[in-house]
Amino acid sequence: MLKMENVSKIYRTNLIETHALRKVDLHIGAGEFVSVTGPSGSGKTTFLNLAGLLETFEEGDFYLDGQNVKGLNDNQLSELRNEKIGFIFQSFNLLPELPLFDNVDVPLRYRGFNAKERKERIEEALEIVGLSSRKQHLPTQLSGGQQQRVAIARAIAGQPKFLLADEPTGNLDSLMAQQVMELLEKINQQGTTIIMVTHDDQLARRAHRNIQIFDGQVSDLAKDQTDVLIKSA
Amino acid sequence: MFAYNAKLAFKSLNDRPSLTVLMVAAIAVGLGLFMTMLTLGHQSSKIPIPHISQQIHLVQLDNREVTADDVDNFNDMVDLTYQDTNNLLNLDIAGAEQTLAWNTYGILNVEQQEIQPQRSSVVATNHAFFSMFEVPFLYGKGWESDADQFGQAVIVLSKASNDYLFGGINSVGQQVRLNTQVLTVVGVLDDWFLVRKFYDRSYRQAGPDEAFVPSNFAFNNDLPRNARFDCWSTTNNPRKFSTNYLTELKTSECAWITFWAKLPQDNKQDYQAQLGQYIDTQKSLGRFPRDNQYFLTNINDQLIIINGSGGRQEMLGMISYMFFAVCLINAVSILLAKFMRRTKEVSLRRALGAKKRTILQQHLIEVIFIGVIGGLLGIGFTYLGLQAMLRVNLYASDYRNTVAELMPYHQMDWEMIMAAFSVSVGCTLLVGLYPIWRICNVSPASQLKAQ
Repeated sequence: MLKMENVSKIYRTNLIETHALRKVDLHIGAGEFVSVTGPSGSGKTTFLNLAGLLETFEEGDFYLDGQNVKGLNDNQLSELRNEKIGFIFQSFNLLPELPLFDNVDVPLRYRGFNAKERKERIEEALEIVGLSSRKQHLPTQLSGGQQQRVAIARAIAGQPKFLLADEPTGNLDSLMAQQVMELLEKINQQGTTIIMVTHDDQLARRAHRNIQIFDGQVSDLAKDQTDVLIKSA
Repeated sequence: MFAYNAKLAFKSLNDRPSLTVLMVAAIAVGLGLFMTMLTLGHQSSKIPIPHISQQIHLVQLDNREVTADDVDNFNDMVDLTYQDTNNLLNLDIAGAEQTLAWNTYGILNVEQQEIQPQRSSVVATNHAFFSMFEVPFLYGKGWESDADQFGQAVIVLSKASNDYLFGGINSVGQQVRLNTQVLTVVGVLDDWFLVRKFYDRSYRQAGPDEAFVPSNFAFNNDLPRNARFDCWSTTNNPRKFSTNYLTELKTSECAWITFWAKLPQDNKQDYQAQLGQYIDTQKSLGRFPRDNQYFLTNINDQLIIINGSGGRQEMLGMISYMFFAVCLINAVSILLAKFMRRTKEVSLRRALGAKKRTILQQHLIEVIFIGVIGGLLGIGFTYLGLQAMLRVNLYASDYRNTVAELMPYHQMDWEMIMAAFSVSVGCTLLVGLYPIWRICNVSPASQLKAQ
C-alpha cells in the first residue's frame, strides 16, 4: 500500500516559493488501479515523482509498502525505487542505442540479479508484452505502441509492487492506447498496484478510483463519484 | 556491476567518437610535450656515480689577489695551480684518494695505413682517476702509480677510440701514436654513461674523452693545454699558456687544473684541516694573500648549483607545463559537453534504481579509460618529442656529440613511463572530477518528462 499523510512539496528559488503539493492525505491499497487527473500545472507529475521516490518532500509522512520513506538517504531511496516501483513514461524513455533485451535489463542490473535470472525475467516480461521475438531489435525499429510495451516490460521485469505511469498513452493513437491500457489492466489483475496520470477521461474511468489534483490539492474520489464528476464536466 | 559499468563506459567512448578522439588527442599531445621536458629534466638531474657521489669532492683553493671579488659557491671559484696540485698530491692524507684532470688533445693513429689519424680529446690525469671514479674497463686497466711519477708513455683508450683504431679488439699491449709519441695501450674503457661529464667541470651531456694519459707524460711532451687559465692580474695574456711557456706556467699563480679528492665521510674534517694548514704554510711563503678559503664541493652539491641555473631547459619546462594545462582545460570542456549530453540517460538510470555511486563508478571508469589511452598515445608523442630534442641538442652542440652519446639523455626509462601513465590518469581524473560531479548530481526526475 501507499500512504501519504500531510505531505507537502514546495519548490523554492531565491525569489519565489511554489507550493506544488499541499498537505496531501492519501491511501492507495494493494492491487488498486488509480488514475490521477487534473489540469496542466496542477501538480500531477510532482505527485507521481514523490510517489516514485524521484523527489523528496518537505513535510508529512509517506509510507511505501509499510515503510516510512521520510529521511531515507539517496542510496536507500534508489534501492527501494528499484525493488518496489516500475515506471512508465509518456515518451517511453528507452535507451535508443540498446536492443530491447538490454533496455529491459537495465533495472535488473541495478537490482544485482545474476545473468540467468535476468535472462529469465527479461524473456518473461517481453513475452507478456508480446515482443519476445524482437528482443534484439533497437527501439527505433519499433512503432510507438511497441516501444511503450517495451517500457512496460522494463517496468514489470523486476516484479515491482507499484507501477507508476505518467501519461502512458499520451504519445499513442487510440488503437495503440487501447492495447496499452489493456496490458496495464492485465498487469493490475495480477496484483500490481498501478497509479496512472492521464488527461484522457475515458482511460481515467477505467481505473478503480480517480484522484483529482487542483492547484496542489488532492481530491480522492471513489469510482462512482469519478463517473459523476466526469459526466458533469 | 563493475563489468557492466566498464561496458557502458567503453560504449560511451564510441558514442560521438570524434569528441573522444579530440579529447584523447588533447591529453596525448599535452602529455607528450610535458613528458618530453620532464624526461630531459629527469635524465639531466641524475647524479653521476650516485653511490659515491657524496664522497667525491672538487678541491679549490682561493689563491687570488686581495682585491678579487668574494665568491660563495664553487662554480665561481678558480681551480688549482700546477704547484698546488703537485703539493696536494704529495701530502700524505690518510684515507683520501686524489686525482687531477686537465684537457689536452692530439692526433691519434696506429700503424695500419687504412685507418685515418684522428684528432682526439685527451685527458691528462693520474692513476687514481680510474679507481676513484670507478671507471668501467672493457680490456686491461688503468696505469700504475709508477707511470705517473715518470710520465710513462701509456694510454687508456675510450671504447669508441678502440673501436675506431683497433676495430674493437683487445688492444692492450698494442701501440698507438699521439702526435709523434708512441704510447702503449694499457686499458680500454667499457661504455661509460657519465650522466654529466663532471670530471672536467664541463657538466656536459657527453661521453668520456677519447683517451687518457699520465699528466707528467703530457707535461714532458708539452701537450697543448685546453684549459681556462685564471691568472688575475699576475700574468698578462694567460692564453699564451695553452701551447707555450710551460715553465712559467708551472711557477705561476694561474689556476687551471681540476683537482678531486675522494673522502669517506669520517675523513672530511681531517682533509679540511690539512688544507687549512697547507694554506697557512703557503702564506708564510708569501702566497694566498686573502683569508683562508677553500671549497670542498661534492658532486651532489655541484649538480644542485649547476641544475639551479637551468636556463633554456627551465624555460621549455615552464612552457610545456602551461601547454599541458591548456590541453587539460580543453579536454575537460569536451568531457563536460560529452557528459552533459547524457543527462537524460543518467536521469533514467537513476529512476530505474542506479545509485549515485554506480553512476560515479561508470564515469570514473570512462575517465580512466581516456587517461590510459591518452597516456599510451602520450608516451608515443614523448618518444617523438625526445627524438626531436635529440636533433635539436645535436645541432646545438655543433655536432661535437654523437647520437650514441646523447641518446641516454633522450630516452624514457621505466620510471618515466610509469610517471607518464600516472600523470595522464591522475590529471585526467583531476580535471574529470567536475564533469563527473555534475553528471552524478543529475536528479532522477529532471529529464524524464516528455519533451
